[in-house]
Formats: sequence, C-alpha cells, structure tokens
Amino acid sequence: MRANQLTDLNVMVAGQGGDGSLTVTSILGELLARRGYHLYMSRNVASRIKGGHAAAMMRGSLEQRGCQGDNIDILLAFDQEAVDMAASRMAANGVIIFDTSDGDLNREGLADSIDIIEVPFGRFAVRDLRRNLFKNSLSFGVLSSILSIDEDEAINCLRHSFQRLPEDAIVANINAFDSGRKFFSELPQQPDLRMLANVEREKHLLITGNEAVAFGFLAAGGRFFAGYPITPATEVLEWVQKYGSRFNVQVTQAEDELAAVNMALGAAMTGVRAMTATSGPGFALMQETISHAGSAEIPLVVVNCQRAGPSTGMPTKTEQSDINMMVFGANGDFPRIVLAPGGPHDCFDLAVQATNLAQQLQCPVILALDQMIGQDSTTVEPFNLEAVVLQHGKRVDAATLQEMTEYRRYEITDDGVSPWAVPGTPGGESLVTGNERNEWGLVSSNPENRRNMVDKRQRKLDSNLHLLPRGNSQGDADAEIGLLGIGMQLGVIEEVWQRLSAQGVRIKFLQPRTLWPVLDETIEFTNSCKRVYVIEHNQAAQLAHLLLGEGANKAGIKSILKYDGQPFGAGELCAKIQQEEAGQ
Amino acid sequence: MTKTFQPGDPIWCAGCGHYGVRNALQAAFQQLDVESHQTMVLAGIGCAGTLQNNVNAYGFHAMHGRVLPAATGVKLANPSLDVIAVGGDGDGYAIGCGHLVHSFKRNTGVVYILMNNGIYGLTKGQNSPTAETAEQAFDGVQLGLSIAGSSFIARGSSAAPTQLQKLMVAAIEHSRAGRGFAFLEVLSPCVTYNDTYPKWAGRMVDVDTITGYDPYSRTGAFTTVHDLNAENRFATGLIYQQDSIGSERQWLDSGQAAVCDLDIDPALQMSDFREIMDDYGV
Repeated sequence: MRANQLTDLNVMVAGQGGDGSLTVTSILGELLARRGYHLYMSRNVASRIKGGHAAAMMRGSLEQRGCQGDNIDILLAFDQEAVDMAASRMAANGVIIFDTSDGDLNREGLADSIDIIEVPFGRFAVRDLRRNLFKNSLSFGVLSSILSIDEDEAINCLRHSFQRLPEDAIVANINAFDSGRKFFSELPQQPDLRMLANVEREKHLLITGNEAVAFGFLAAGGRFFAGYPITPATEVLEWVQKYGSRFNVQVTQAEDELAAVNMALGAAMTGVRAMTATSGPGFALMQETISHAGSAEIPLVVVNCQRAGPSTGMPTKTEQSDINMMVFGANGDFPRIVLAPGGPHDCFDLAVQATNLAQQLQCPVILALDQMIGQDSTTVEPFNLEAVVLQHGKRVDAATLQEMTEYRRYEITDDGVSPWAVPGTPGGESLVTGNERNEWGLVSSNPENRRNMVDKRQRKLDSNLHLLPRGNSQGDADAEIGLLGIGMQLGVIEEVWQRLSAQGVRIKFLQPRTLWPVLDETIEFTNSCKRVYVIEHNQAAQLAHLLLGEGANKAGIKSILKYDGQPFGAGELCAKIQQEEAGQ
Repeated sequence: MTKTFQPGDPIWCAGCGHYGVRNALQAAFQQLDVESHQTMVLAGIGCAGTLQNNVNAYGFHAMHGRVLPAATGVKLANPSLDVIAVGGDGDGYAIGCGHLVHSFKRNTGVVYILMNNGIYGLTKGQNSPTAETAEQAFDGVQLGLSIAGSSFIARGSSAAPTQLQKLMVAAIEHSRAGRGFAFLEVLSPCVTYNDTYPKWAGRMVDVDTITGYDPYSRTGAFTTVHDLNAENRFATGLIYQQDSIGSERQWLDSGQAAVCDLDIDPALQMSDFREIMDDYGV
C-alpha cells in the first residue's frame, strides 16, 4: 500500500429523497469492496416516500468498522441543504461535488481548503440524456475520476450494480457516466486526485442487522413469522417474505401488532419456532402478550428494532429508549430474556440463540435492536452456519409421553422448566393458560400453589444463567476506565477504545449481549472500573439505571447520553471522554 | 395410560346458556369422532372464556380479545388440528372486533363460537356491544355478511340444542373441508345479569323454515337478516356459506407443507443458506 492511498474514506451523497443517493453509494461501495475495503453504509432519511432531506453515507476502510467516520471526505450534494447539513462534518481536505442546477453554491461556513467542483447535473442530464434519473451515473463519472479509478473498472462496477436493468438502460447509464468523466477531464482547474488502495481480503457479507436477524431465525429453525409493517423493523418481515418460501416458512402480514404477536404465540404453541418483529409503538402494543407468553410458558421471539420515541417520535431515527419497556414492561412478574446484538453478525448469532433459548426455557425472548443496527449495512465475516445447533429443551413426543405415568404441563421441576407436549400429541392433552394454575393447568389461586408457581417460573432463569450469551469485552482487565454500551454503541466504542489505547490510555470496554437478566460479569465489569462511561441513546440513562439496580457502584458510573436521533461518531465520543477525564 | 389433566367443572351459574354450548360442542365432537389430542380449544376472557377447562382437548386461554389471532396462528402452523375458538360478545364484538373482521377476510379454517349474552357477566353486568339498548346497532352476522371473504355464518341458541349441535357439526365440517373460517354466534343468556331467555323467546326464526331460503346467496342472506332485525327478530340456522378455499388449505395446495411437520435441521438446507449468503457476498 502506498502512503498517499486512502485507508478510511467517508462519502456522503445527499439531496432530496428520491434523488437516488443510495444508488451512487451502492455503486461506489461495490467498487471499494472489490478493492478490499470494508464498508459501513447508512442512510439518513425523512419519514416520507419522496422528498425531504435524504443522505446516504458510505465509509470504506481497510480496517473493519462498525460506524460512520468522523468527517466527510467527499460530499456529493444535489442541493444547498445537503451542503448546509454536512458542512460541520466536512474534512479540511475534502471535496464537494455540487449540483448547480438550482443555483450556485453558497460557500458560507466551508473551509477554503475544501475542493469544490460545481456541475449542472440536472440540466446536463436533461439536455444530453433526457432523463434526470441519469444524474446518479453522471455523478459516479465525476466521483470515479476524483478517485483516479480507470474507466474500465468503473464501468464494470456500474454494470454490476445495474445488472437487473435491460441492456439499453445500462448503456444509457454508461453514456451518462462518460459525460461525467468528460466533464471532469475538461475542468479548467483539476482538484488533486485521491488514490484508493487495492488489497486482498476474504469474502465478506454486506448486510443489515434486520436482515441478519431474520436469517439467524431461519437458520435456527424458525418457520413461522407474523408481522405488521413499522419503520425501522419492516425489513425483517420483508426478508422472511423474500427468502422464506424455499424454507416453507409461513409468513403472515397481520392486521395489527396485537394480531401479529398473538399469531406468533399461537404458532409457537404448536411447537413451531415463531417470531414477530416490530418497533417501539408496536412493541408497546405487544406487552400484554409478552406477559402472557411469560406466564403461560410459551416460547416466543420478539424483535424490537428501536426508534426515537416517545409516541410516534422520529420513526426513521435511532434511539435506545425502550430498554425499560423491554426489561420491565408488561404486567406481573415473569421470566424473560432480552438480548442486544452489537452488529449484523451478532444479530445472526443472537437470533439463533434467542430462538433456541425460547425453546429451552419456554419463555419470551426479546431481541433488542436499534435503527442503526437494524438498517445500516456493514461488511461482516460470513455466518458460521455449521455452528448452528438446534436445542429442543424439554419437548416430549408421543413415545416419551407413553412411558410417563403422569404428564403435568406445569410440573414443578428443579430447574423450573416443565415437560411440554404440543397439540396433536396423543396423551398430552393439557391446558395452557395465563391464569395462575396448578401443575395440571387448571386455574388455581391457592396461595401456596401461587408461590410455588411464581418461583418455578423464575427458576427457569436463575438456574440457566449459563445458557445466556456472554458479553463482548476487550482491553486491559486492570484498566481503571471502562466503556459500556449496547447495540449501536459497539462499533463506536470499539473505535474509541482503539484510539484512546493508541494514545496510551489504559481502558477497556464491555458490550453486554444479555441485557436481561443482568449477568454478574456486567456488574463485575462496572465495579472493577474507577470510572465506567455508560454510553446510550436516550435521555433517562435507562441502561445505567438498570445496572445500578443490579448492584453497580453509583460513584463510578458516568452516563454519556445522546437523544438527537443521530449516532455518536468515534471522534465526538473520544472528545467527550477526554474532556471528562481531564476534569478528574 | 399416562395420567394427564381431567376437565374441571364449569364456573358458570346454574341455568347459564354456556352449559348448552358446552353440551352441544361435546355432542358434536362425539358425532364427528373428534380425537381429543387432535383438537385445540382456545378461549377468550370472560365467562365464555373458561369453556376450554371443561372439555377434553388441548386447551388455551388467550388474552382478552385475542383468541382469533392466536387460533389463526395454531391453524396455520398445524392445519390438521380441529381449532375451535370460543369467547363472549365483549371479547369478540368489542375488544377483539378488529380481529373478527380480519378473520372473515383472511378465511383461515378456525371454528369460532361466539357466545352472545348482551352483557359483561364476569365483571358483573356492564353493557356489551349487543346489549338490548344497542342491539340494533351491532349484529355480528351482518358484519360477517358484509365482508366478501366470509364463508360460513351461522347463529344458534342455547335454547335450541338440536339445532346448535347441527350447526357446530356443520362449522367443524366446513373447517375440515378446508373451506375456511366458520363463524357461529350462539345466543347464550346470562341468567344472572341479563336473563334473555324470556326476551329472546319467540323472536328467533330458523332460516330452514323460510321457503326457498338459499344459504349460498349473500344478498338473500343479507336481506333476510336485515328484514328480521327490522322486525326485532333474529335469523338463526346456517345463514350463509360458500365453498371457498381456506387460507391454510391454499398454503397446502400450493405445495407447501404444514410448518409443524418440517424437519428443521439446518444441515438439510445448507446449500440454500449458502446461496442466500452469496447474495450478500462482497
């Protein structure tokens, strides 16, 4: 690799929704991936079909990253609003390619060192190509020129990205691309060209958390899915609709979230592995049924891809403000498991574990995602399909039942888990209910029975903690400073940890993957630090409070909170921590 | 023989209409040689929602108003089961009414027995959507008739056990034939809070007694039900049916297997999983 090659490139393409920002980044992403870069791709859109400010962001880096970069190296802006919104994040040596179709660029707030290329994209496209849509390929022509990518390589990627289009449409896009190249070559003042590296790396997957969670569910034997569309969780439903048929998966789009979760519950009772997926408002509607699954001891997996609340909030923006609802929501005491994956690969792994754990412990398992984890695409190592092992818990079939002298659906056992025969099994007729009941399933409010039943259900968790996923931790065990965060924070925390470690700061981090019950290792981590920065996307410090309630030392907890709908950048978080540390 | 739960005694008041419903259901099970392990009775919340405790089958007590989606999930996952959903008028016409509408539309082969007594009995006597004061305002039969997907709509009465058993048999047969959702409203009085035995006596008209009545005619059924309601009477019997194909049967007809019967060992479909991974390869 040569010294002037880019190791970490951040590109933003922004304009009005429907401008096709995602198309440009996906073509460029294809190109960077072929050069051996890792990708992190995200979007920032309004909750509307077309229009509103929309941006696609792409990070190409030689090291694997789990978040956007701090600065924007190249901005492709289709309007002034795009520049205004990106201005504060522009790298000093960055490039702005600006579409002057609707007027000249207002350079206020932009450093003089930034290269600016003004292109009348829209008019260009309409004049020579007759269709505004081609401005994506036009811009890719300009973009590829700045990145000193030769024409053949660029066209190759363009063709790959448009492979589903008819040939004449592809040719028209290539013509547009050529116009962009020509425009750039004829610029009176050429900006400095940027150079990309070209390295080898193993094949990866470019996938979102929502897709990975659906994939993991299928791999773990999930065969029933009921959902109701809601941003930002809809892709889970769409994924099982798209890929489910070859696995014979029953997919139903229900009339509402109440129906979706209850259909999944009904299917789960038959022994089929069932899931539903939703976001905050839908998850709120599902509370009653999650409590029911907890009481009636039905294996149910619910994905909550969190968005900014409360109420309708900001549907397309990220947040982690449903922690309380996921951990404490719904009526009554019942065992539940909440798992929080830290990226698409973890989404796959934890979806497998969630699906198995639901069967093993016969209880609801919640997968806590957030918009960023759910919808951003990242390059991750291929999923380890061979490692997927199905766990069936205490399911009993007809032959086993015949050997039993008694079958009590809610038998009180040492580990709290009862034998379970599904409908259709001869001899297993039984009652499944959310009422308090005796071991036979018959309704009972006998005080002694009540105590025994509540304790039995809780024992399922207490005696099976070893089955729950351990956290992801790195750093010097003796370090006094700790970072702790879940979900979307992982990618940022990892990068902050690397940067601060490189500066000689002794620091460690933990991403708890089991959010509930809080594992001992989590509290041991917090209490082994002099200061632990608990980083979360909500205003009420919900994660920190969860830890405090489970025994974390209050004096050591420093909350770093963000609730503006935008993810932390590593630089931003580093600065905050350094500022805090300087004050110690 | 493995010992398992034995159905308990009903919690209902002496004279409650629901006894008639249970008796008719048991008689229908017997008539059709229904196997207890192949049957699942799901119930909503309320007095009607305890029936599953009193019959020999797999039983499930759903959340208030949610018995239909739960039953739909069971039937879609295991179409070979006889899936019977039961509940009251508060459960089905108030809190769960949205699901009733969509159950008609979806037409999944669940048998739904709605015990209508015009009152919230278990909470001691509040008005339900079909309370006498509002009776003209809400009629589940008319609701069902108005939805194009509906395929079986019947009404019986606890006071007419022979007809009720016949309707239950017809409903179960409709579901078993793969024709879809079978809705049976039963006028089942609450003798404690809303004793409608005397109020409803003489107002029920069995459509079988109407000359030329055609249960396959939606418009004919609608006209009859509407006109009887206008006279402060109710149509009973098998009011409407069509030979549709239930959603779970469509699934099976499309060559898919019942999901409860699948071998889900991931090793069996490793090449499919790999193909999906290839779609994401970069």
